[in-house]
Amino acid sequence: MSRRLSSPARWSLWLVSLALLCATAGARLQLRGIVDTDILSMLPPQEDSVAVAAATTQSRQAFVNEVLLLVDGDDETAARQAAIAAADAVVAAGLKPDDSGRSIDRLLAVYQKHRYALLDDAAAARLAQGGAAALATDVATSLASPAGMVDAFGSDPGGHLSRFLSDLPRPYPGFLPDGPFFSAQKDGKYWFLIRSQVSAAAFAEGAGQAAHAVVAARAAVAKACPRCDLEATGAPLFADAARHAAQTESIWLSLASTLLIMVLIAYIFRSFAPHVLAGAQLLASVLAATAAVIVVFGSIQVITLVFGTTLIGIAIDYAFLYFAEYWFGDRAPSEVMRAVRPGLYMGLATGVVAFAFLLLAGFPALTQFAVFSVAGLIEAALMVVLIFPVSLRKFPQVPVHPAVLWPQRFIQTACRGSRWRLILPAAALLLCIPGWLMLRTSDDVRGLQNLPPQMLATDGHIRETLGQVPPPGFFLSEARGLQQALRQEEALFGRIAAGAPGFATLGLSRFLPSDARQQRSLAAWQGVFADPRALRAAFIHLGLPKELADHSLAEWQAADHSLLTAGEVSAAAPDLDTFRVAGAAGATLLSTVTGRSDVESSALAAYAAATPGMSFVDPLGRIAATFQRLRVRATWLVILGYLLISALLVWRYGRREALRMLYPPLLALGVTLGMLGWLGEPVNIFVVVALILILGLGRDYAVFLREGGAARRSPALAVSLSALTMLFSFGLLAVSSIPALHVFGIATLVGILASYLSAPLSLPPSGRA
Amino acid sequence: MRLALCSLALTCAGAAAAGPAAPPANFAADFVQTRTLPGFSTPLVSHGDMGYDANHGFHWEINSPYHYVFEMNGKQAHEELPDGSKRDLDPDQTPWLAAVEHIFISALSGNRAELQRYFSLASRPASGGGNELTLTPKPGAIANAISRIEVTESAPGRPQHLEIFETSGGHMDIRFIPAEGHGKP
Repeated sequence: MSRRLSSPARWSLWLVSLALLCATAGARLQLRGIVDTDILSMLPPQEDSVAVAAATTQSRQAFVNEVLLLVDGDDETAARQAAIAAADAVVAAGLKPDDSGRSIDRLLAVYQKHRYALLDDAAAARLAQGGAAALATDVATSLASPAGMVDAFGSDPGGHLSRFLSDLPRPYPGFLPDGPFFSAQKDGKYWFLIRSQVSAAAFAEGAGQAAHAVVAARAAVAKACPRCDLEATGAPLFADAARHAAQTESIWLSLASTLLIMVLIAYIFRSFAPHVLAGAQLLASVLAATAAVIVVFGSIQVITLVFGTTLIGIAIDYAFLYFAEYWFGDRAPSEVMRAVRPGLYMGLATGVVAFAFLLLAGFPALTQFAVFSVAGLIEAALMVVLIFPVSLRKFPQVPVHPAVLWPQRFIQTACRGSRWRLILPAAALLLCIPGWLMLRTSDDVRGLQNLPPQMLATDGHIRETLGQVPPPGFFLSEARGLQQALRQEEALFGRIAAGAPGFATLGLSRFLPSDARQQRSLAAWQGVFADPRALRAAFIHLGLPKELADHSLAEWQAADHSLLTAGEVSAAAPDLDTFRVAGAAGATLLSTVTGRSDVESSALAAYAAATPGMSFVDPLGRIAATFQRLRVRATWLVILGYLLISALLVWRYGRREALRMLYPPLLALGVTLGMLGWLGEPVNIFVVVALILILGLGRDYAVFLREGGAARRSPALAVSLSALTMLFSFGLLAVSSIPALHVFGIATLVGILASYLSAPLSLPPSGRA
Repeated sequence: MRLALCSLALTCAGAAAAGPAAPPANFAADFVQTRTLPGFSTPLVSHGDMGYDANHGFHWEINSPYHYVFEMNGKQAHEELPDGSKRDLDPDQTPWLAAVEHIFISALSGNRAELQRYFSLASRPASGGGNELTLTPKPGAIANAISRIEVTESAPGRPQHLEIFETSGGHMDIRFIPAEGHGKP
């Protein structure tokens, strides 16, 4: 930037450019808000069909919004009262109550009406083959069996409807619908399950809503039945706990790092100006970066803000480069810019090139990171070039003190020609080899969360009591029409029942048999009642009164022989509509299985593969696969970016020097990966982002030292200050309890240390520079 | 369901009347079952025998007017139907049978407290000696099907007569005749 520009012109240029960018962003800002918190929308398109995408969303919503409350007590009446009080408290707190218990009561009436259409294929075949004799046998068995159902309807003497009802899926084995609850008597206690859903986003307001509701429910239970207990679980409760943990950590980590950095700057520069200028530079960088992302995307993801801010932390290097030269360099204030310009521009060019390569990733997350980081770095450099020279004009009055000299001594010592310049890095790399061999990758999103052990134990206890292990995924039955979809699902369930009787299938076809199956049922009954004399004879043959045969015939003749329709089922139990995927072409049904222990998704996928029209979707597996692709692609782009930077360095410094400058960042990278392996930490997308940061810092250190030279004080000081502030900012994250931040912190802690300690290797040994 | 109720009445009536007495290690009896269905004036009468012992579990057999067998031992249950066919029942896959099994096992354990989780108990002296016990289901699934159960016993743990009153209006009457060598006081 030309020195001829006046101070007002510089300020105007800087402010106007920033204001223009922000104004453009304001015009582009989407009404739904500036910050988008739906992290999954940052994942790349899954190349799914509309049905799979809709089903995944539907399935996710059903799971993430659910809150389960389990009330138990020794006394049935008191426990029931406590459950009622808890349910009332939950509703008062804004949660939506579940109506499935009452839905089942309404369904019973519908099934009673269509009872002759509800035989399963085996029972229909048996009646079709055995005719009247088979019915007489069923009636006799039902009357004789000590385990036979009591005839609740008075019109089901053979127990056929009772068997259909008994076979209906139970979401919680051992728990039966009981008014607004599911209830059970087990382990010497009465248990009442309250199912509810948050009415707001589960990972935003819904989390607090759920936590508040549980507190209210607990108080209500304590008041209604002091000896009763309440346990609660659900994704919104975990989200609330995670949010609180993250907030608490971020506050104290931010405070600690800010304090440390301010103390360091104050101690080194003994002036207030660096605080103001560095703070302004950081704010301007984040503002410009956010505005650029909004200009391009319409809004900004919260994860971009977090990670992007981390990555443009590199921008502070530019400020330190300037400050070190201004305060402790050997140039006049008016000459500082000229002294730092080569290092600044080279650092900016290499940084922009490295981040710009992420634009090619094709992943929304990486694209946003790239736009954010490039814009932030340019703004940071722009401020240094335009504002710093006109803000720092007087000769500084701070004397050179030992802390300022120490970095230069370190660099000079490390640059002395010595065999240790070879031995130490080689030894470090040798030590890292076992670590590299122990490295493992992990893209499982569950490993990124910090789930409180007590909540996990409660969740496990509730799931164990309910006899329900959440399934690993869901099936999709895609067809042109509902009937075909139902038939496909029936075929799948039949296959599972034969191959894995321990699995409980759950899907619409369990509540609404296909028309084909219903017609087979009606045809079987038609055959049974076709010959009244034969029917009577069959009953008499077993010693049953003929009036019972006549009564059965009269029931059949008076009954409704129409087919049970989807509309009737939906009207009685709207909850069952969740099995139908909205928005998909044709008819798509969503179904699943549960087991008493973990169900292998591979087994379910095999059943689906063997059934035409069926597919199995493993959402967590798909997200993990996406994260893996993200990680791998980001890694390759970083490598490609580094190669391009290498070309830049070769162009600027020649092949030999460029190779020397590339060596320390790569060494830091190797040491970081080796340490991660030794520590058993996984390599995930967060580690890749940390590696980008480490490479960026290492590259900056090499450029600054190379441009400044080992003999000068200011480049060594700039590099040392950068390393220390980075350690305070990001290395502190190593103590985080959130696994994602913890591993990021470990990687940056090791990487920055290694980058700093190896930085002198980018310079030739003394006497050869 | 009747299995649970019969077993419960047979083995726990004595415990309810006489305090925490141990349930019988085995029991066998012939019985006459009279079933009255709502809307039918003619009752259905059947004859059979039943028994329980710790090793072989529960056995229930109708001999007249047709032949039917039900046996349950632990987690295993199977039936022999009037047409001669046989089938296994899996309590894990049949919620009603699973509930029956739970009550059955609880009842045979002689645990009065467990019994009172399902029923309210009322006992009074029978006119001809022994006791009369009334079991009224507490609110829940059993109460949807059963109004009450009345058991008459000659001595603690020795039932003579069981009546089940169903909510549908149906009624079951079972009279027991202890088999020789079993269950004699």
